[in-house]
Amino acid sequence: MRDYVRLTGVLLAVCVVAAALLGATNYITVDKIAEQAALANDQARRSVLSQAQEFTMLEGQEINELLAKTDYDSVREVYEAKVDGNIIGYAIKTSPKGYGGEIEVMVGVDMEGKVTRINVGNNNETPGLGQNATKPEFQAQFTSKNWNEGVSVIKSGTPKDNEIVAIAGATITSNAVAKGVNQALNLAKELSGN
Amino acid sequence: MKLWNDFTNGIIKENPTLRLVLGTCPTLAVTTAVFNGIGMGIAATAVLIGSNLIISMINKIVPNEVRIPIYVVVIATFVTAVQMLIKAYSPALDSALGIFIPLIVVNCIILARAESFASKNPPLNSIMDGLGMGIGFTLALLIMSSIREILGAGTFLGRPIFGAGFEPALILILPPGGFLIFGLTIALVNKLTEKKA
Repeated sequence: MRDYVRLTGVLLAVCVVAAALLGATNYITVDKIAEQAALANDQARRSVLSQAQEFTMLEGQEINELLAKTDYDSVREVYEAKVDGNIIGYAIKTSPKGYGGEIEVMVGVDMEGKVTRINVGNNNETPGLGQNATKPEFQAQFTSKNWNEGVSVIKSGTPKDNEIVAIAGATITSNAVAKGVNQALNLAKELSGN
Repeated sequence: MKLWNDFTNGIIKENPTLRLVLGTCPTLAVTTAVFNGIGMGIAATAVLIGSNLIISMINKIVPNEVRIPIYVVVIATFVTAVQMLIKAYSPALDSALGIFIPLIVVNCIILARAESFASKNPPLNSIMDGLGMGIGFTLALLIMSSIREILGAGTFLGRPIFGAGFEPALILILPPGGFLIFGLTIALVNKLTEKKA
């Protein structure tokens, strides 16, 4: 009986010390980590719409109702990109479902309805196959696609203006990224009133 | 001399991956690219040295019956604290090694060294053991990831090394290829060390 009390006591003491240390570390680092995350997010938005001076996140009931539609099920966050207070485009964060879970795709759309750039971020796609979606060559294919025609994926051959060539051996990933871009294009079209 | 032996022990004689067959899960998962292999190796080495040091310092006050849960708590605390500090103060390091750090908590090499070495040896020897085991782990990952990336993707550290005509053997970077290369590397190391014995 005394043994149980002693062992439990020691284990409890170790856990209390560990929890206290972690709590202290968290207290010191939590603000700094949030700051770094905000910075990284800002960089991701800036990478798809480099001309913008500032980004404003769209919030509130109106946008929430819009995003609740199944047409926009992959859209996570919408930002207005502004220069001197005028909207010059949208940075839209989507997370379509790929082969290994959700893929983070940031899409920049200008007011002429064209994709400025896309940025494929965090994903769990197969290394060497789906992971190639993060390569610049693949992402560059999406630039200049417009919101009237959207993007279609072909497996091989020469792509037409509204088509992109899928990554070899990773059709699901390619389709997922295209889905994210298409939803972003449609949403930008709707938001801009065109 | 004892310190030197503790250091070299982990590199070939008791290489954690290829001789003790520990840490198989992270080994198979990260060896798809050389960069990942090196990243995981360095991160694991740092944690191994730290956790070996702490465990050898507290081994006098840890009751034998509850030592395993205490080791687990110590290792998880250490790893989590390191992860938060890296996230906060070195975002560049975090984006390079961040994904490997949570994987280290479940790396059984750390627990195995705590149990079989650090809990029975003084702090300095435990540091040397951690360093040697870490280097051995890193070398094993480097060998396997080089083979897998070069033949499976046709690149080394992300740079193409063959001409455009090279058709990579995709299976090598997929999970089955991991097992194939793991088995062949163990066989090769066994064969090479057989003569010395």
